[in-house]
This record gives sequence, C-alpha cells and structure tokens, in this order.
Amino acid sequence: MQEFLQQVVGGIAIGGIFASLALALVLIYNAMGLVNFAQGEMAMLATFVAYTLINRGISYWIAFPVTLVVAFAGGIVIQRIVIRPVERAPILTLVIITLGLATLVNGLAGFLFGYVPRSFPSPFSAQSADVAGVFVSYRDLGVIAMSGLVLLAVYLLLQRTTVGLTMRAAAHHPEASRLLGVHVSWMLALGWGLASAVGAVSGIMVAPILLLEPNMMQSIIIYAFAAAVLGGIESPLGAVVGGFVVGVTVNLAGAYIPHVGGDLQLAVGLAIIVAVLILKPNGLFGRAAVRRV
Amino acid sequence: MALLELENVRAGYGPTSVLHDVSLSVPEAGVVSLLGANGAGKTTTLRAITGGVRWTGDIRFGGRSLRRMSTEDVVRGGIAHVPEGRGILTELTVDENLKLGSHLRRDGAEVKKDYDRVFEYFPVLKERRRLSASTLSGGEQQMLALARALLMKPRLMLLDEPSLGLAPIVVRAIFEIIKTINQTSNVAVLLVEQNARLALDVSSSAYVLEVGRVAVHGDSAELQGNESVRRSYLGY
Repeated sequence: MQEFLQQVVGGIAIGGIFASLALALVLIYNAMGLVNFAQGEMAMLATFVAYTLINRGISYWIAFPVTLVVAFAGGIVIQRIVIRPVERAPILTLVIITLGLATLVNGLAGFLFGYVPRSFPSPFSAQSADVAGVFVSYRDLGVIAMSGLVLLAVYLLLQRTTVGLTMRAAAHHPEASRLLGVHVSWMLALGWGLASAVGAVSGIMVAPILLLEPNMMQSIIIYAFAAAVLGGIESPLGAVVGGFVVGVTVNLAGAYIPHVGGDLQLAVGLAIIVAVLILKPNGLFGRAAVRRV
Repeated sequence: MALLELENVRAGYGPTSVLHDVSLSVPEAGVVSLLGANGAGKTTTLRAITGGVRWTGDIRFGGRSLRRMSTEDVVRGGIAHVPEGRGILTELTVDENLKLGSHLRRDGAEVKKDYDRVFEYFPVLKERRRLSASTLSGGEQQMLALARALLMKPRLMLLDEPSLGLAPIVVRAIFEIIKTINQTSNVAVLLVEQNARLALDVSSSAYVLEVGRVAVHGDSAELQGNESVRRSYLGY
C-alpha cells in the first residue's frame, strides 16, 4: 500500500509536468484550432536558456522567472514572424508549419548546445519527507507545488483579468471580438507567448529528471498530447486534470504491469490517446461538436 | 455637419460587387433607417462602415475618414456595431459579454452608472449575469447585444435587424428601448430593418436600398405617407 501511494505521488509530480505542456497545447488550440507540434521543442529551447543562465552563476530563482519572460517574448515573436503570415491558411498548412518549426528549433538547439545530455539542477533536495507514513521526495513535492502555482496563475489570468477575458473572446469569436474593439491578432500573439511560457515550465521541471538535450521533450510531448486529448483538447481544466491522470497512470503502469517498465511507458501514453479517441472522442471536459442548423 | 457620411461607397466580396453607389448621412444624435429587400446591401453597408468589407469612395465619421482603418480602431473611435446574428460570445457568461463592452473605458464611475441603467432597461440580464450567454433566448440575446453596445459608450450605434426572429411583443419592447437610448444618451442610430413600418416609426429619416444603390431617401414620416413608395419598396 505504501509503495503504491509513493508511486501515486510520483505520478502526480510527473503529471504536473505533463499538465503544464498540455495546457500550453490547449491555449494554442483554443486560439487557432491548431495543435502546435513545436510546443515541446520551444519548451526545450527555453530550458537551454535557463541552463545557460544558471551556468553563468545566476541563481535558480532568478533564472527561472527570467526564462519565462524570454519564453513569453519568444512565443510572441514566433507568432508574429512565422504564424501570422499564414494565419488564414488551411489547417494542414499550419500543421506542417508547426512540424517544420519543431524540426527547426530542435536543430537550432543541437547546433548551439550539442547533443550531449547535460545535468540540470533541481532547487529541491533529493531527500524524502515522511508524510503520514508515505515517503515523498522533496523534488516531487516541489514539482507538484511549482506546476500547481503556474496552473493557478494561468487560471487567474484567463478568468479574472480583463486581458484574459479579451484573450478568451478573441480565441472563440474573433469577428465578434473585433467589433468590441479587441485587437484580435495581438491577443493571439499573447496566447502564443503565454503558451510558450507555460510550456517552458514543463521543460525546466523535467530537465533534472531526464537530463537536458535537444530531444528531451519528444516523449513528454506525447504524454502532453494524451493529457490534452483526455481532457477534451479545448478545455484548460481538462488538460490539467488529464495531465495528472496520465502521469499517475503511466507511473503505476510502469511499476505494476510486467514488462512495461521504462521502455513501454510511452506506449501507455499512446494507448490513452487511442482509447480516448475511440471511447469518448470529446474527452472528459470537451463539449460535443454540435452544430445548429 | 453629419456625424456619419458615406459618399459614393462601393463595396463587395472578392469580385462580386454588392454596393454600387451608396451615399447617406446620419446626423449627430439622429435615428436613420436603412431599408430594402434581402440582398439589397443593407448589411454590407454596415460592414463597410466598421471595416468588415473592402470599400471605395469615402466614409467619414465625425469628419475623419475611416479609410484603411481596422475594425478595432473604427470601433474604438466610437461606433458600436451590433451585427447580423447579434455577435454574442456564447462561450462566455452574460457578465463577461457586458464587460467586453466596457473593457476599453477608463471612466469607472460613469461605467458603473451605465451598468445600473442597462440593468434597469433589461432586468433579465441582471438575473442571468452569471449564466452562460448561450442559455439566453433570442430576445434576451438581442437585449444583451444592445446592453453591451450601450456600455461601449458609442456616439453611433449600427443595429442590424434587431427584430429578426423575435416575437412581436419583444420587438416592441426592444424598439422602445432603442428610442430611449437614443434620447437619453444622445447616441445616433443607423438602423437596418426588414420591418419597415417599425423602423419608420422610430427614425427621423430613411434610405431605401435597391440592388446596392439608394433608390429612395427622405423623412420617415413622408415615406410612410407616400403610398407608391410604400407599395413598391416597403411592401406594406
């Protein structure tokens, strides 16, 4: 029982990482009906920014927010330069462009930093605390707390501020929003910036576990897809819940299903995607696509 | 000087021209109806004003040309456009829809007064503030659209068929409030309507469009009294 609970806590921690990246995917999906395949690579590049800062002797707790600001600005720049010119293009064009962007960012990181895995510091101690008989590592607790804070911040921004309201309005009803004086194109850019910053959190959280290298996010993005699809792809809350569910499921499957171990864990993520698409295509929190005629 | 002036406006969608030559003006704080059959170009005229469709000729608002201005900037300049289909953001709550109307205003105290007024006109919106706008009936959505337009504190409202799809008693109520808004806030109104009789009742002057041109133009009372105009263009 105790070991089971420990696996669950570990799953929640990794789930918080999936949830952040899944939320980033959902933010962009809501804004333009597009899955951004470059989200993971953008997060990886941001993590290299954090790595560079920390390597220069800057404290983790300064490097972290600075990286988020850089990622935010980078997301806006990518939207303005790469996405905006093709905003009205068919969806398949956009998908190909984000795939190209993923390859580009991956190659750029390889060119700048090389492919040797680097260890990335965690600000939390590797020791464990005894929480009601369950040994929980401070790292897991720290990751859970950090992703919780980020998700809460995004929630408050979107639901409680005027800029969040106009972002949601622009994402769902661009034409009607323009008539209310909302600068829709800039709101989409802000959405990219926000998604990029939230994604960067997942990269920084996962780097101490996986080691930092240009392909670091390629498995994480699969789990994030699974989380987003499970949550209903357009629901931010769904992405978060989906992230935690996928994290716990994958962790438990790795621990208790024979042969899954480390190598087949990714297959569990894929199985979740397939199962959701077959059994409940709108996910846990998605609405059925109803068209009134 | 008129608040809004259209001069020889031509507009269309791609190669299809919809407006061939439309000139009209709306005086400060006046109510003007824009009438005509389906496809005459009424909606396109409104869309040209707020930059939703490309146009040539000239459109001036408060003496300034709106040429090459984005929809957002035209709207920020003081024109509230309630589009065809009302433009309700059904993903959001009633309250959030209203907030989007007032979100650009910095005169906090005045905004609060305007909210009070809006809820006085439409008590049902106050009751449903926290509900999703998608749960409102057609009439309530029209009320929400008008309330939101009022909260933008515009100098001019463009209303596209506010009576469409509503029960006659609701239509009466909404037109009463359009009249009240015009009189108490000095907002000019350009009203597009299929229901010509109703529109002529509230407006002081009217234009009748026919296939993208102004066919008839005059005082509303005069047009109402002119039987041949009524029969050939207004259908009652």
